Amino acid sequence: MEAAIQSYWPTLVRWSLVGGTLGAMMYLLNTGLQRVGVKRDVARGYAFVLPWIIGFLVFSLYPFVYSFYLSFTEYNIFQPPRWIGLDNYVRMFTSDRNFWPSLRLTLLYAFFNVPLGMIGALGVALLLNRNVRAIGFWRTLYYLPAVLPAAAVALLWRWMFSPSSGLINFFLQPFYALFNMEPLAWFTDPNLVLPAYVIMGMWGVFGANAVILLAGLKNIPRELYEAAQIDGAGAWAQFRSVTIPMLSPTLFYTLVTGIIGALQIFTQAFFITTPQRAGQFLNVLIYQEAFAFRHMGYASALAWFLLMVILVLTLLVIRSSALWVYYESERG
Amino acid sequence: MKRPIFLFNLLLILGLIVSACAVPVTAPAAAPGEQPAPAAQKVTIRLATWAGVDESAELQVLLDQINSEQDRFEIVHEPAPADYYTKIQTALAGGTSADLFWLSQEWIAGMAAQGALLDITDFLASDTTHPAANLDDYFPDILKTAQYQGRIYGLPWIAQPVVLYFNRALFDAAGVDYPTADWTWDDFVAAAAALTKDLDGDGKNDQWGFTMNGWPPPQMFVWQAGGEVITADLSASPIDTPEAITGFQFYADLIYDDVHTPPEAVIQEQGFGEMFKAGKIAMFMGGAADDLDRVPGLDVGVVRVPAGPAGRPTFAWTASTVIAAQTKNPELAYEALARLTEKIHGWKIVAPRKSLANVEALVAAEPRKEKNAAAIVEAIPDMRAFNIIPRHQEWDTIFWGDFMDPLFHDQGTAAELAPKIRPLLEELLP
Repeated sequence: MEAAIQSYWPTLVRWSLVGGTLGAMMYLLNTGLQRVGVKRDVARGYAFVLPWIIGFLVFSLYPFVYSFYLSFTEYNIFQPPRWIGLDNYVRMFTSDRNFWPSLRLTLLYAFFNVPLGMIGALGVALLLNRNVRAIGFWRTLYYLPAVLPAAAVALLWRWMFSPSSGLINFFLQPFYALFNMEPLAWFTDPNLVLPAYVIMGMWGVFGANAVILLAGLKNIPRELYEAAQIDGAGAWAQFRSVTIPMLSPTLFYTLVTGIIGALQIFTQAFFITTPQRAGQFLNVLIYQEAFAFRHMGYASALAWFLLMVILVLTLLVIRSSALWVYYESERG
Repeated sequence: MKRPIFLFNLLLILGLIVSACAVPVTAPAAAPGEQPAPAAQKVTIRLATWAGVDESAELQVLLDQINSEQDRFEIVHEPAPADYYTKIQTALAGGTSADLFWLSQEWIAGMAAQGALLDITDFLASDTTHPAANLDDYFPDILKTAQYQGRIYGLPWIAQPVVLYFNRALFDAAGVDYPTADWTWDDFVAAAAALTKDLDGDGKNDQWGFTMNGWPPPQMFVWQAGGEVITADLSASPIDTPEAITGFQFYADLIYDDVHTPPEAVIQEQGFGEMFKAGKIAMFMGGAADDLDRVPGLDVGVVRVPAGPAGRPTFAWTASTVIAAQTKNPELAYEALARLTEKIHGWKIVAPRKSLANVEALVAAEPRKEKNAAAIVEAIPDMRAFNIIPRHQEWDTIFWGDFMDPLFHDQGTAAELAPKIRPLLEELLP
């Protein structure tokens, strides 16, 4: 027991030191700013966000910048990084047999997951936007996937996709009987791994996006629909000419976050074993290079490449937004 | 009025920092021959393991004994059952590693090559007091998993040979003779086929003679056919020799075939070892320490694995305790390692030492294995460990992903795949 306390002591000291130092810095910033004439409320505001800013600098910005440096090095975490210039990037594009299949799988997943997820979420949001009873209950129900632990959800879906005892094949039984086919093997069949991930991924984005889209739908003024009805617009015309344009800023937001989320898929892929022939997602490849092979430099290069892919796609979506996103404030 | 309050707060904070800085200094290690330091000043030696709750409780009993037997150090256990290797590597990178930690066979060479582990060769050479430090007593093939370029980086604490567990009731019901210690591949395959049955007559098998899913390791069958996957001098991966191909193809012909073994989807759903425990599998190759022979309601026998054309080598899973190179107390860490290893050799089966390779020592360590101890001891001389290279994880990824996975799924025969994969594997050799 004594030894346990003794071994914990340095941790307690470090913890106290960090807390104390942060407190002192907040105090000094607050008094310092007020001395140079900054208003008391403003000074206190800065003092209170200081721990977050320091946390961001130390735990986000520094690793971010350092990983960029590491991407030009060979680094096994036990020995100092060794500068190798662009070798990691050259290896990525020319000699890593896993890179291109991983990129292909990740992009294909995003290609299917994002639009299907958005369409599904929009459908759910439209349903929830009708004056149904216990709307709060339904909203909570649909949002639930977004707050469940991803690892637990992955394990649940692994069971759902189980070939003979899973729920999905149970419901598909009549279909299999109709076409006289064997039940699909989902996660054990390399050809079905991607569809299985897409279906699983949609469940997660349905709820989170549906709630956001529902908020967008609620914000559309009723007068617009009334005006459209007076002009003789039917349901489809109202949806196409009122709902979609007015909802486009929200759709834009869900599209951008959807692309980022889909390209960064990791937890599900980490917890569900699939045939190696099916390939692995880019984030899983990064994890494998970093923590199984200790190629931290190469893993950093892969991570930076993934960032670039996400950045380029996001910029493309933002550039395209002028063509399809309608902001009420931009009249003309 | 406000200023004094702020100043008071500031002083309070500074006081907290100053008091926090007053770290209790651990006692320096007593040099050999000196009087041990008082108990209150024992040096803490941290031990990281992957032990779960039950294993940790058993290990703690040993640690309590070690801690009470001497006054120089106190071993504190830090179990990390989940994501163990990520945590170990991160702690090493952050300079906060435990002094001692467990590593399974394939991790030691790589970490030793990169300077993360303490070379204990000289400590061992000058140690005449601890039985666990007597290297001549270790099985050489097991000890080599803790070696890199002739130097020693850890002490193996287990060498668990694969043995054949069999369910007597299923053999009796099928009228098949029990496996014997002189079985060959042919006897084994014939029995596996005879024990695979559609019991309820629905056109689907619901009992199988054997099961495999990458376990037991295909390398074992390659050895039994006279081949090798990495040569002892680590210079080649001769997976395309006729002997190696015989071993791989033997494995590929049995796996998931529904004639001797269950299909992959069935194993995934029902669980690999669980199917044996549920009485759906007649024979299972498992580690000697597995609990398969004490499943309530099952009468399970144990026998050596069947012999292939070149003999009966059996895979021995091995793990060692190593010392982090960054430990601040190398001498005490070594002392703790030697004492701990001795204790573990009396706890885990099979201890990787010749002097403990007998029924008495095995039963003393694990009384629940008394019934089958003789069969396990019989398997010990056939134990064989992998030849490990520093980049073993990468080698394994290619071996399983590019070779075994297609082979198991009829994407090619061993003879077709092996020559293509060999150059990829050999690129990773030192």
